[in-house]
Amino acid sequence: MSARMLVAGLGALALLVTGCGGSAPMGAGGAAAGRDEGPVKIGALHPVSGSNAVDGLQMRRGAQLAVDAINAAGGIKSLGGRKVELVTGDTQGKADIGQSEAQRLISAGAVSLVGTYQSAVSTNVAVVAERNRVPFVMDVTASDAIFSHGYQYSFRVQPGSKAIATAAAQYLKAVSDQAGKPVRKVAFLHEQSDFGSGAADAFTAAAKQLGIGIGPNISYDATTVSDLTAQITQVKASGADVLAVAGYYRDSLLAAKAIASVKPGLNAVWGVSNGAYDQPKFVADAAALGNLYFSTNYHYDATNPETVALREKYQKLYGDPMRTGAVLSYDAVQVIAHGVEQAASTDPQKVRDAIAAAQVSPLTVGRGQIQFAPNGDNRNAFPVLMQVRDGRVQQVYPPEKAESRPDYRVAWRP
Amino acid sequence: MTELDTGAPVVPETAPPDQKIKADRGFLGRAGIVAAVLVVAIVLALVQSGSGLVVWQSVVTGILTGGLYGLIAMGLTLIFGVLDIVNFAHGAFLTVAMFLSFGMIQATGLHPYLTLIAAVPVLFLLGAAVHRGLLSGKGGGSLENQLLITLGLSLLLENGLLMFFGAEPKTIDLPGDFQFPLLGAVVAGSRLYAFLGAIVLGGLLYWLLRRTRLGTAIRAVAANAPGAALVGINVRRMHTLTFAIGTACAGAAAVLAGPLVTVTPTLGEQFNITAFVVVVLGGMGNVVGALVGGLLIGLVEQLTTIYLGGQSSLLGVFVVFVLVLFLRPQGLFGRRA
Repeated sequence: MSARMLVAGLGALALLVTGCGGSAPMGAGGAAAGRDEGPVKIGALHPVSGSNAVDGLQMRRGAQLAVDAINAAGGIKSLGGRKVELVTGDTQGKADIGQSEAQRLISAGAVSLVGTYQSAVSTNVAVVAERNRVPFVMDVTASDAIFSHGYQYSFRVQPGSKAIATAAAQYLKAVSDQAGKPVRKVAFLHEQSDFGSGAADAFTAAAKQLGIGIGPNISYDATTVSDLTAQITQVKASGADVLAVAGYYRDSLLAAKAIASVKPGLNAVWGVSNGAYDQPKFVADAAALGNLYFSTNYHYDATNPETVALREKYQKLYGDPMRTGAVLSYDAVQVIAHGVEQAASTDPQKVRDAIAAAQVSPLTVGRGQIQFAPNGDNRNAFPVLMQVRDGRVQQVYPPEKAESRPDYRVAWRP
Repeated sequence: MTELDTGAPVVPETAPPDQKIKADRGFLGRAGIVAAVLVVAIVLALVQSGSGLVVWQSVVTGILTGGLYGLIAMGLTLIFGVLDIVNFAHGAFLTVAMFLSFGMIQATGLHPYLTLIAAVPVLFLLGAAVHRGLLSGKGGGSLENQLLITLGLSLLLENGLLMFFGAEPKTIDLPGDFQFPLLGAVVAGSRLYAFLGAIVLGGLLYWLLRRTRLGTAIRAVAANAPGAALVGINVRRMHTLTFAIGTACAGAAAVLAGPLVTVTPTLGEQFNITAFVVVVLGGMGNVVGALVGGLLIGLVEQLTTIYLGGQSSLLGVFVVFVLVLFLRPQGLFGRRA
């Protein structure tokens, strides 16, 4: 018995010692040393396990593809062709894990961070980045709150929640007028957390300015909801002519099923930063149900040949269609590499200044090159209107980014 | 202590008739009160929303969804009633069965409901193995250990599924799914099937527990394990069997619920909380109570969204939960099967 305890104790001790041995050099003083030699490290933080693992993995691969592309083109030229290396962390979709992983990557010598897909996680990582004076370029992060704190080291490539919702209202007005069926009243169905409610509030504000009526405003709990038929019946009873939906994948699919069975008298179903209606997966899962659904969101630029080539490469390598999130990660890593190139240094503060002044052509839809406003938000981020047509998601508005013209109607009414 | 199907142990078949009548009256009284409260709640909802159609659709949806909740909670309540195990892995078992069903449909193109023939036995065996291997030994002796084991198991199963199948959400299509109007409300065929399945499963379990030798043995073990052992019942085997039957119920529930949900490895979490509330509401260990509790929770969820609009429907569920715990800790139907 005592022998066994001794062995166990020794085992525990050994674990402790090696554990400390591993982490000590990272924590103390090793940071600068790690940056000056070997490859230039970029830290990628995504949720590659947990319920968002599909998107997290997509985005990590997107970042890796960008790194591969940079290395294939000769690495960082201003540093004598030093290679770039992606060091990765798994946030598990949790804010606290994201925070500790961010710290770990910075200690491991990352010159900049890219991530994180979820606003709550990005909020925590932004604090770590600020404290360590390491730039943090967000690929997907909807919340606008992070950019109201005066942070110096936070940047974002995608359009924010408010920008998307405002554009959604403007596009709705324009497209419905064009079709000769001007929108009168919009019912808004949204999940109840910051993401859905924020989108609903911003959309309502923009719609009021355009003279569009809003109501009813219906929310639900995305984590537990298992049927939305009663909510869609409420929409039907209200006489609204457009239904806007801001939700995640699973609940938006439920909404589509409920719409198909209740058949409310709508002219259009209008996704606002919707997590489903612009996904190829949704088109496959919902089949005929989702036909002609609209969605306003950030999107990879389907009209850009470079994007098309990148997505083909991804499809060939991983057997999955590349999602917009992954293309945004690709863009974000390009921004960081550009920053390192311009700074000709791996000092995070110099890289930060170079990123703040950077101009990089995106592979996602933008108004122009990626350029950051003083608060760190991408000045030229630009949401686009998409529609499910002929079994795939197509860009339909504004005209300069359109693959085809919007078809303003719903599938179940003539 | 345990109250599985407690009609028998607490008011045994041999009880004096007046005592049994009293128990019946108490049960009817409670059912009456619940029904009256429900009617008031529905009338209030009507006043609040001002649209009969919306409220009617909510009631229909609530009952159909409630059947699904009852279906999922049945296995859980059985395990709880007989073994006193709070089985946090129930949701994970449900998910495993759903992936099994999904995998079979993908591989063989079977009708979704036909996968019952595989899902139920496989889950039965899985449950038996888990009980024999993890829970019935020394390690599963204390309540804390059982909690940790089932919780750990659910994490293991979830992440195993994640590794094996990936997190990409999957859907199960029901061939020939239809919907029909019911006095203006829409009823989807797949939901109706799940609801009917819940009633059939509830009936089967009731029959098993009340009308068969096995059921009598299970109830005896639940009521008094040492006593049951004295009359020659193998208590450990009964425990394993009950646990296996409970997980087999999760298998059946998964197949019936498959076409209604998006299948992801973390699906179990979505139902775990609701299932526990239903179990407590219906009286722990009471299979028919679980069905009624499920219907109530389904209705409460739907009505809450009418009353409170933007609030989470879970708010209403937990208000009811706390009220029931306060007024009647043994559950609404805790003394009657």
